[in-house]
Amino acid sequence: MNILVDLGLYFSLLSLLSVGGMPSVIPEMHRYVVESKGWISHSDFVEMFALGQAAPGPNVLIASLIGWKIAGVPGALVTLAAMCGPAAVLSFWVAGAWERLQGTPWRAVAQRAMAPMVVGLILSGGFVLATPGGHPDWRLWLIAAASAWTMVATKLNPLWMLAGGALAGAILL
Amino acid sequence: MPVTPPRSLLELFLGFLSIGARSFGGVMPWAHRVIVEERRWMSPEEFTATIGLCQFLPGPNVGNASIVLGKKWFGLKGSIVAFLGFFGLPFVWVIVLASLYADFATAPGVKPVVIGVAAAGAGLFIGTAIKLGKPLARRPAALVVIAGCFIAVGIGRVSMLIVIPVALLISYLLARRGLL
Repeated sequence: MNILVDLGLYFSLLSLLSVGGMPSVIPEMHRYVVESKGWISHSDFVEMFALGQAAPGPNVLIASLIGWKIAGVPGALVTLAAMCGPAAVLSFWVAGAWERLQGTPWRAVAQRAMAPMVVGLILSGGFVLATPGGHPDWRLWLIAAASAWTMVATKLNPLWMLAGGALAGAILL
Repeated sequence: MPVTPPRSLLELFLGFLSIGARSFGGVMPWAHRVIVEERRWMSPEEFTATIGLCQFLPGPNVGNASIVLGKKWFGLKGSIVAFLGFFGLPFVWVIVLASLYADFATAPGVKPVVIGVAAAGAGLFIGTAIKLGKPLARRPAALVVIAGCFIAVGIGRVSMLIVIPVALLISYLLARRGLL
């Protein structure tokens, strides 16, 4: 199959699965483009993730960068459109219904049901990114743990944690 | 504090453009700043309710907010204009940044820095999970679902196409019994 078509179809599916936003689908994206298809290496994936985190803008652009790495500018456009499109169509149609559901028990149950799954998925994303090929590297875990702790314990802008990661990378890696 | 919705598509476009352009270190705080504080398009309460919906829906939160708010004020045209305004600049410059990076990637000392940034970014995910997970931690069933998803997706590398439907079904049943 043409790689752009494949990217477009798969990322459209991810769009509908991305409850909790982009972080939830990072592990699946990695599984597909690195482990299953072998389009790019773990190291490429991680580099694009780092650029996407450090640049201003929504983190869904990480998907565009991965598309760019795989298939250039057309890949970037296709992945962005695919990641946003189906979710955008859903948002467009659901917007009115959601207001009508306000205060109904169904809505509260749905929200409570989704929360733990989203937490488990985001945790998986952090783990996969900091554990290349499933092999633990204490230096990466140390950087990740320091950044996680800073985020939980302080109100610092996350850019400081990324800057700290850059410095720690230059020293440790 | 009186609130006035954007009067024209141009105003809507420029508002979302400035959210996208300035969102260093996270989009949500800037969305709040522009929509609620600077342009006063809506009240803080309305904003929170809209974001609640967008966090519930799949897809990028503020991207969805551009669709929902654009529709609210100008219909389909508004959705398209707000979406393009929001993504236009950040899309262009991540691609420019990545192209520049491609030229420098092989220089000595660059790769460790980028891998360090990625590890810190991974830590931000873990931090986010801890923050979101804290209020859930009192319920044992929630911890079981969190651990189950993590073991399946993070360690077992099972496809989310399988994990999400299964986890949603289990969570829904648990939530209906008041266990979540």
